[in-house]
Amino acid sequence: MEALLSGEHAVNDIVERLDIHQSGVSRHLRILHEAGFVRVRPEGARRLYSLRPEPFRALDAWLTQYRSLWEARLDKLGEALERKHKARGAARKDSKS
Amino acid sequence: MSTPPASAKRTIALERTYRASIEDVWELWTTKEGIESWWGPGGFTVTVQKLELRVGGELDYTMTATAAPQVEFMKRAGMPLDNKSRITFKEIMRPSRLVYAHSVGFVPGIEQYSVDTVLELSQSGPNVHLILTIEAMHDEVWTERAVMGWKSELEKLAKKLSA
Repeated sequence: MEALLSGEHAVNDIVERLDIHQSGVSRHLRILHEAGFVRVRPEGARRLYSLRPEPFRALDAWLTQYRSLWEARLDKLGEALERKHKARGAARKDSKS
Repeated sequence: MSTPPASAKRTIALERTYRASIEDVWELWTTKEGIESWWGPGGFTVTVQKLELRVGGELDYTMTATAAPQVEFMKRAGMPLDNKSRITFKEIMRPSRLVYAHSVGFVPGIEQYSVDTVLELSQSGPNVHLILTIEAMHDEVWTERAVMGWKSELEKLAKKLSA
């Protein structure tokens, strides 16, 4: 997977880089391809593999949502702290009078 | 895959400053009443079912859509109105540091998904500075899960074919 981060590669390139047996690399690529993480295109006799951006975008989109959930939540935390502060101020006033 | 590239680490970092005491902030994060008073996003309420504030202890809570637009939205999206979550505490250093794993169940296509969260608080004068770091699973782990799902499918298929 990491070998593909630098761009499109043929199976042989990856085998050289990772020092793993070709059958292992091919099997790995086939699984990644079927899971939708990798796409393949033929070029002459070679088959070139590259990463598909979609699954990574899905994670990014989810993280963006998670971040905005937390932004809103921290606003509410600020409001809760203010309420606490005011309640304490009121209590102090009561005890004084 | 010993050194994951920077892009593989997905981290959210949020910082806020509140005019408050550090003890008050700590209480809002670590007590049933505190959590229930602010944790739910707009239109949702949160109820805490279990709270064990110790390392390895769990916090179970349910987030329920209560306001009409949110109820409508959840129904239309085919999602339940109740969403259960679990937090497992990893580090507790009152009142300045809290580390926990949050199991989130709403990533499409993935059942359970764990997010590591680090809360750091520091008092300076009348203000509390809050740093929240949320780290999603690395792409590799995420990918691995999807791939493992596929592997088992392929293994089943291979068994069927060889039978």
